[in-house]
Amino acid sequence: MPDPAEFDVLIAGAGIVGASVAWHLASAGLRVAVIDATGPAAAASGASDGAVSVASKKPGLMARLASESLLYTRELSTGGPLAGAFHARPSYVFGSGAVEMSALDALVSKLADLTGPVRVTADGPATLLPGLGGAVDRLVVLEGEGHMPGHKAVRAYLSRPGITTIWPAPIRAIASDSNGVTLDLGHRKLRGNTLVAALGTATLDLFPALPIQPRAGQLIVTDRGPVDALRGSLTAASYLVAKTGSGDQLPLPPVVIDPLTTGQYLIGSTREAHGRTDQVDFATLKSLLSRASQIWPALLNRRVIRTFAGVRAAVADGLPIVGAMPGQPRVLMATGFEGDGICLSAVIGREVALMVQGLAPQSHWAADLAALSPARFENTAQKGAA
Amino acid sequence: MSDHPILIVGAGLAGLAAAVELARQGLPVLVIDQAQAIGGAVHRQPLPGVRSTATGAQAHRWSRLIAEVQAQAIPIRCGTRFGGVDHTGAALLTGALSTLIRPRAIVLATGARESVQPRPGWTLPGVMTAGAIQSRIKTLAEPPQGRVLLAGSGPLLLAVGAELCRLRHPPIAIIEAARPLFNPASLTLPLPYLTEAATYLAHLLRARVPLFFGAHLTEIIQTNGPLVAQIDTRKGPRNFAVDVIGLHDGIRPNDAGLTNCDVIPTLRLGDCREALGARAALADGFAGGQKLAAELLGTTPPSPNHDLQRQRAAQARLARIYAHDGLARLAEIPAETVICRCENRTLADLRALGPAPTARALRLDGRFAMGACQGRFCAEWVGRLSDLKAPPKPIGAARWPSRPISVADLLTTSDPIEKETK
Repeated sequence: MPDPAEFDVLIAGAGIVGASVAWHLASAGLRVAVIDATGPAAAASGASDGAVSVASKKPGLMARLASESLLYTRELSTGGPLAGAFHARPSYVFGSGAVEMSALDALVSKLADLTGPVRVTADGPATLLPGLGGAVDRLVVLEGEGHMPGHKAVRAYLSRPGITTIWPAPIRAIASDSNGVTLDLGHRKLRGNTLVAALGTATLDLFPALPIQPRAGQLIVTDRGPVDALRGSLTAASYLVAKTGSGDQLPLPPVVIDPLTTGQYLIGSTREAHGRTDQVDFATLKSLLSRASQIWPALLNRRVIRTFAGVRAAVADGLPIVGAMPGQPRVLMATGFEGDGICLSAVIGREVALMVQGLAPQSHWAADLAALSPARFENTAQKGAA
Repeated sequence: MSDHPILIVGAGLAGLAAAVELARQGLPVLVIDQAQAIGGAVHRQPLPGVRSTATGAQAHRWSRLIAEVQAQAIPIRCGTRFGGVDHTGAALLTGALSTLIRPRAIVLATGARESVQPRPGWTLPGVMTAGAIQSRIKTLAEPPQGRVLLAGSGPLLLAVGAELCRLRHPPIAIIEAARPLFNPASLTLPLPYLTEAATYLAHLLRARVPLFFGAHLTEIIQTNGPLVAQIDTRKGPRNFAVDVIGLHDGIRPNDAGLTNCDVIPTLRLGDCREALGARAALADGFAGGQKLAAELLGTTPPSPNHDLQRQRAAQARLARIYAHDGLARLAEIPAETVICRCENRTLADLRALGPAPTARALRLDGRFAMGACQGRFCAEWVGRLSDLKAPPKPIGAARWPSRPISVADLLTTSDPIEKETK
């Protein structure tokens, strides 16, 4: 007979998804514990650029979810937990050459299909944005998206009363039964009625059957300069190609130039099939900065003060994994967002909190959420085990 | 690969000694230094037309090494900054020599940096490190203008004080936290250490410089006029009104942002590896050069260097002689004291992160070690203040660039690596 549950819900992972789930459950009056091997925003959430972007999502399901989550994020930032963490800003997507032109066409038609908060306010030549350098054939200006540094959002969500945080505490093992879940933290065991596993790249350590792969991205941070010289993120259309397509044949470096509130720039990013956070190389740095400074020549007056790699948790079929594990009704997954966790965390937190409480999602989300269930891998997982 | 040079970063004692040993074995080397002239911090050379302020012993040591450097015709590029080495083995050089290179091995001999403990007012204009004053003396043969006060702890305070006396510009006082002269163990130091100290003290006593031992500079205030240094002496508080304050709390390896590389041998030598001072740096440079040459050529490695061990023992003794309670005062500094100068973050900002903050929280939420220096100067104190009992831990893993790299410089680097792979 296991010990009585100390918590209603255990949340494994203090990244942005786990933090949002925790906030929503605590708001519903549940006793919540968040456990992390390292600490808050220690992996992809802390390494992210913080873009809350619908433009970069695959058309269809992911774009619909992103659009809904953006609306909800804006709501939560108006006097809610994300006040001070999220701020609205324009976004700019640029391109040159045939491949990027068609990616921009696809972007404009994708946004036209959504009834969400993001709209195209201008679509034309480089002169639409003062300060833009040559080498841009076309610029699409968007309103409605925003910026939310992952670490700020995590801190904001987790500061809610009713959330117990436990770190550094690597989870050694998970044992679930029909009444609840026990986590083995080495020095102690923790019992809850339900577990939400929002583990990102660490998912593989505890759920090795799930098809999660690391996707590293190199990032560059500059020193400070004038704030607001660039009001929103400046994204190469090839970055959309990298995110929404196969990404194997990029015509030009997939650059994103992100102005930070400090007056610094964050410049990214590659998508590489490994999980090493220490693999940053000068050739890639040069290639990203070369295109970035052609597009935004003000960068030529800046200095690189830091470089790093963040690792996203990607899923083989390109969709996140959200829902109860087959055969383990007390274990819910919320992982595999491949860098989209910042944008999707608000709505995923809300919906996973409903799932934990046994409540149904709003009817128009039921099909989209069902498509994210880990049950979709059951056949492959069984084949793998056989 | 074998025609690629061994890159030696730093043209001070350790770097040049290593270069001499490697070149003697027929291995190609390239020495770079960010300064405009060789010498490092200890043998920093005067600007053209300026007389040298080096003592006879210093000049003798340097000229012997330079004779060997010249005999081996070692290529040296000054004004060249080392950006780092990435995991592929590519090293970035910017400045006078601007290129990506793939060296056969790397010797990091970047010397030491000064440690300066945060105190209220330590960021005011006119407050600098004692080493910065010494560097000015070596390059310009001139003291700083106005009244100078030296404070903190370590033999460098006496050395800089003596150099100021030789320029007929003695400091107003020297405030030393330890009481080295009152420690009988001082007499067990090697003779060269004792004669060096005696020379410094003779200059200082002749110029009647007040020496306060067991004293601490607790706060620097500036209203309109001069800097006012509040001193806590063994006989009660004192004030000094001065124009320049040189702070110094010891030396540390200058290794911030230096990463190792898995695909090529990477060696740290001299103060960059272990801050033991000039004598040890020279011995370590020769020994490290021999060891690396043996590794690359597959010959028998040299026997352990006894000179280095002697210097290490002497430095350990010196550290005991200079032991003091200054660190305890760190816990007592006011909450509004700036800890991180780049991002202007205070002790109150650090405490707001709660007990035992993670490295990520220190960086992202606290913005410590996030400025241009990437923690080179503040990480030690952030670590100590986060946990006063444990030795300070680095705030996250070391990452290049070791110094900020200008985007324009980076883009103009030649790229022979790219050509090679094509």
